[in-house]
Amino acid sequence: MNEQSGLGTPLVEINQLAVTFYTPRGTVRAVREASLEVRSGELVGLVGESGCGKSTTAFAIMGYLPGTAQVDGSILFEGQEVSSISPSELRKLRGNRMAMVYQDPSTSLNPSMRVGAQVEEVLREHLGMLSAAAHQRTAELFESVGLTDPERIGRRYPHQLSGGMQQRVVISMALACEPDLLIMDEPTTGLDVTTEATILDLIVDLKQRVNAGILYVSHNLGVISRVADRVIVMYAGQTVEQASVRDLFKNPRHPYTVGLLSCVPKPPREDGATVKLSAIPGSVFSAEEESVEACLFTSRCPIAQDRCSAEAPDVFLTEDGHQSRCFFSKDVHPGIWGEEKEIDVPDHTPQKPVLTANSLRRFFGRWQRKFIFFGPRIKPPVRAVTNVDFKIGHGRTLGIVGESGSGKTTVAGMVVGLTARDRGEIKLRDETLSPDVADRSRKQLASLRMVFQNPTASLNPKLAVRHTLYRSLQKFAGLRKSESRERAVKLLEAVGLDSTYLDRLPTELSGGQQQRVALAGAFAASPDIIVADEAVSALDVSVQAQVLNLLEDHQRSDDTSYIFISHDLGVVRYISDDILVLYAGHVAEVGSAKSVLSAPFHPYTEALLSAAPVPDPDADPTRIRLPGSVPTLRERFEGCFFAGRCPRKIGPICDNTPPPAQTGPGFSDHIINCHIPISDLVQMQQ
Amino acid sequence: MASVFTSNNSLLGVASLAVVSGFQKTIRNLKLALRTTAGRIGLPLVLLHITLTLFGPAFAPFEATELHLDNQLEAPSARFLLGTDEFGRDILSRVMTGARSIILVSVAGAALGISLGTIVGMSSGFRGGRVDEIVMRVMDGLMSFPSLLIALLVLTSLGSSQINIVGTIGIVFTPTVSRVMRSITLSLKTQEFVLSARLRGEPTAYIIFREILPNTIPVLAVEASVRLSYAILLASSLGFLGLGVQPPSPDWGLMISESRRFITVAPWVALTPAVAVASLVVGVNLFTDGLRQAQGLPKGDTL
Repeated sequence: MNEQSGLGTPLVEINQLAVTFYTPRGTVRAVREASLEVRSGELVGLVGESGCGKSTTAFAIMGYLPGTAQVDGSILFEGQEVSSISPSELRKLRGNRMAMVYQDPSTSLNPSMRVGAQVEEVLREHLGMLSAAAHQRTAELFESVGLTDPERIGRRYPHQLSGGMQQRVVISMALACEPDLLIMDEPTTGLDVTTEATILDLIVDLKQRVNAGILYVSHNLGVISRVADRVIVMYAGQTVEQASVRDLFKNPRHPYTVGLLSCVPKPPREDGATVKLSAIPGSVFSAEEESVEACLFTSRCPIAQDRCSAEAPDVFLTEDGHQSRCFFSKDVHPGIWGEEKEIDVPDHTPQKPVLTANSLRRFFGRWQRKFIFFGPRIKPPVRAVTNVDFKIGHGRTLGIVGESGSGKTTVAGMVVGLTARDRGEIKLRDETLSPDVADRSRKQLASLRMVFQNPTASLNPKLAVRHTLYRSLQKFAGLRKSESRERAVKLLEAVGLDSTYLDRLPTELSGGQQQRVALAGAFAASPDIIVADEAVSALDVSVQAQVLNLLEDHQRSDDTSYIFISHDLGVVRYISDDILVLYAGHVAEVGSAKSVLSAPFHPYTEALLSAAPVPDPDADPTRIRLPGSVPTLRERFEGCFFAGRCPRKIGPICDNTPPPAQTGPGFSDHIINCHIPISDLVQMQQ
Repeated sequence: MASVFTSNNSLLGVASLAVVSGFQKTIRNLKLALRTTAGRIGLPLVLLHITLTLFGPAFAPFEATELHLDNQLEAPSARFLLGTDEFGRDILSRVMTGARSIILVSVAGAALGISLGTIVGMSSGFRGGRVDEIVMRVMDGLMSFPSLLIALLVLTSLGSSQINIVGTIGIVFTPTVSRVMRSITLSLKTQEFVLSARLRGEPTAYIIFREILPNTIPVLAVEASVRLSYAILLASSLGFLGLGVQPPSPDWGLMISESRRFITVAPWVALTPAVAVASLVVGVNLFTDGLRQAQGLPKGDTL
C-alpha cells in the first residue's frame, strides 16, 4: 500500500487483533479490532488519545502481555504467529530482532549500574561479544545516537545524565543488536520540547540509517507528523484510519482524525487571526464498555446518521488510498466540526494593570558549608528565579513559557503566596501582597485563585466534589452551607457538568471532569486572576481543547485575567494576549503575543518556536536546536544567562556582560534581553 | 440528601444521617471482612472477647473471688469447667471476669496513644521547620527507652491505677505513632489539594483534620491494629509484674504470674489466662488483617 516499501512480506502484520483483560474489577477491552502492518525501513506512527489501545497493541507485538490478557486475532512477525512462538524463542527474538524504547528513560535504565556497562551487557548476552569488543561497540553506538565523548558518558550512572541523554542511551541499547523491528512508546513525552526536538531529529536520522521497521506510538500529532511515513489512528481500541502521513494530515478521511487535528492549537493564519479550537464533545468510548454493533464514535461524531448506530462499520479503502472505518468517509472534510471561527480579540485600551510583579527573586536552600556549620562555603543555593518583572492587564492572559527548570512554577508560587519570595514586590492593583498566603486577606485570596496541573491531585480523593465547591462558596461568597448548593450547581453547569456530580468522589471522574471541577472551584470566588500552572498539560488533546474553550468563554463573560503557564508553546500561543519567556530564572523576552511570536525574537524564543512540533508534515524544515538542558543554576551568571546554549552567541561580550533590555520595534512593551542589536536580530531571523 | 440539607433542623438531620451511614458502612465492612479467611477466624474471636467485656461477670458461673477451699488446684471437671486455683477459685469465672479490665485498659490506652501520636505527628509534620525538628527529637528520646521501663517508672512513682495504666500506655505509644503519622503528613502536605486548601485560607487545624486525616486512614488503621495488640501485651505484662489490678480482683497477667509455681502440677491455672491473652491478640490481628484484605476486593458484589 505504501509506494516506497511495497515489496516483500510485511515485517509485522496484525489482523483483527483484540486484547481483553479480565480483572477483578471488570473486563477491560483494551484493543477491540486493530489491523496494521509495518514494513522494513518504514516508520509507522500509531496515534490516538489515552485509553485507545495504542500501547497495548505495541506490547502485544512484543508478546509482553500479562497472563490475564486474552489475545484474539493474529499477530505475524515475518509471517510467523507470535502466539505460537515458544517462550524461549520469543525471548531470543526480543533481544535480537525486536527492541522497544519506553516513555520514561529513567526507569528503563538500572540506576545502580554505569550506563556503558548496561549496553555492554546486552551485547555480551545477545551477540556473545567479548568484553573488549563490546566496549568498543558501545562507544560506537553512543556516538551514533549523538552522545559525544562516549567513554566519559559510559562511565556515568543514569542519574548523572539528563533526560535527553538517558533516552539516547536507551535508544542505543535498543539498537545494539541491530533489530529488525523497533517499537517506540512515547519516547519523547517526558522530555522538554527542546530536547524532544533533538531526539526526533535523531529518530528521523536513524530511520534513514538503519533498515528496521519502526512502530512509533504517540498521542502527539505534531511529533507523529514530524517522524512518520505512514500513520494509523486508533480510537477506542480500533484502528480507524490509516494513510501516508501527508494524506492523513492534509486530507483526513475519518471524523475522529479531523476532530483530533482541529483540537490542536495551530499557529495563527497568514492574516494573523487565531482560529478557535473546535473540541470533540464527550470523552473516549470507555474500554470497560462492551462492544456494540455500531460505530463506537457515533456519540461524538458530527456527521453520524442512523446507520452509524445500527451497524458497525468495517474498514473501507477510499479512492485516495486511505483506510477508514467510516460509512461516510467520502463526506468527511475539515469543516465537519464547525466552520473555522476566528477568535475576536477584544480591543484592549491600555489600563492600569491588575497585577504587577517587580524584580521577583527566589533562591532555594542556603550556602552549604564543608563542616555543616563552619568551614569554607562549598555549595551555593539554587537560583530558581533571579529577576523577573511582569504585569497583567484587566481581562488579559499572560502566558509564561520556558523549559522545565526555567522558574515558571516558582513564579506562579510566588504570585499566589505558596512560595515565599526573597526579594521583590507583587501588587494587586494598589495593594502590596504579602509573600505568604497565610498573611493575605480573604479578599486578596478570593481575587487570586489557582488551578493546578494534576487534576487528580488537586481534589481531595476522600471528599465529595461538593466539598470543594461549598468551601469556596462559604469562604469567598459568604454563603451558608444551605445556600451553597444552588450556587454550586450553577458553577458546575457553567463548566459543563450537572448536579449529579456534587455527590461523586473525585476518583469516579475522568481527568477532564476533575479539571472542570477544579475550575468551578476557582470560578466560585469570582476571582480577578486565575493562575493556571500547566492546567491542561495532563489532559488528552480533545479534553484540552474543551478546557481551553471553557477558560476562553469565562474570560469573555467575566473579564478574568489569567496567568497561563505551560511548556507547550502551541497552547500558550493560542490562549495568551501577552507572553513572558523565561529562561533559568531570567526574563528572556516579554511583550504582546504578536510581538513575541514574530521576528525579531530573543534567540531562546526562536529556539523554542522552532522546536515546537507542529501537526503539519510540510512544516518549515529550517530548525534551530539547543544542545543540553537548563543549567543547574547554582552559579551566578557573569554575562548573559543564555550564553551557555545560545546558538547566536556573538562573542565574549555574551560571557561577561549581562544583556541589556532592548525594546522591540513597533511595540513599546516588547522587551528582548539580548546583546544582539534589534536590527541585527531582524536581519538574522527573516 | 437534598431534603436533609434544606430541612429546618438540618444539623440534627446531618448528624443522624452520619450515624446511620457510619453504621451501614461498619456493617458492610464487617461483611466484607468475613469473606477472607483471616476475617472469618478473627471476627468470632474479637466478638467473643467483646461479649466477655460486656457480660463476662454476669455470665460467669461463680463469683470471681469466691473461695472453694475444698477444691484447691482441682483439675477441670463438670463443676469447675477449667479447674480451680490454689485458693479453689473457679478459673473460668476469673478469666471471664478479668476480661473487662484488660480489654478496656488496652483499648483506652491504645486509643489515647494513637490520638496523641496523630495530633503530635501531624501537627509537627505539617508545621515543619525548627519546631518539627525539636518535637521529633523529643519523640526520639522517648522512643529510645524500652516501653516496659517507662511504664514501670511511671507506675512505681505515681502508683498503679487503671487511669495511670491507660495514661502510661498512651505515652509509651505516642512516639511511634507520631513518627508514622508525621511521615505520611509530610508526603501529603505537598499534594495539590492541600495547597488548594491553603489558598482558600483554611485554618491549619481544618487542613490537618479535614483534608489530610481522611487520606491517612489506611495507614492509621494498620497502626491502630498493631498498637492495640501491643497495648494488650503491655497491659498483661504490667499485670504479671503486679502493677495491674490489685488482688484479689482477677487479672490475666496476675493470674499467670501467681500460678507459675504450680505450672507442673496444675498447668490449667496458668494456661487459661495465657490462652485468653493470646486469642485476644491473634483475634485482633486477624480481624484487622481481614478488614484490610477486604478493602482490596472488588466492589461489585459486596452485599
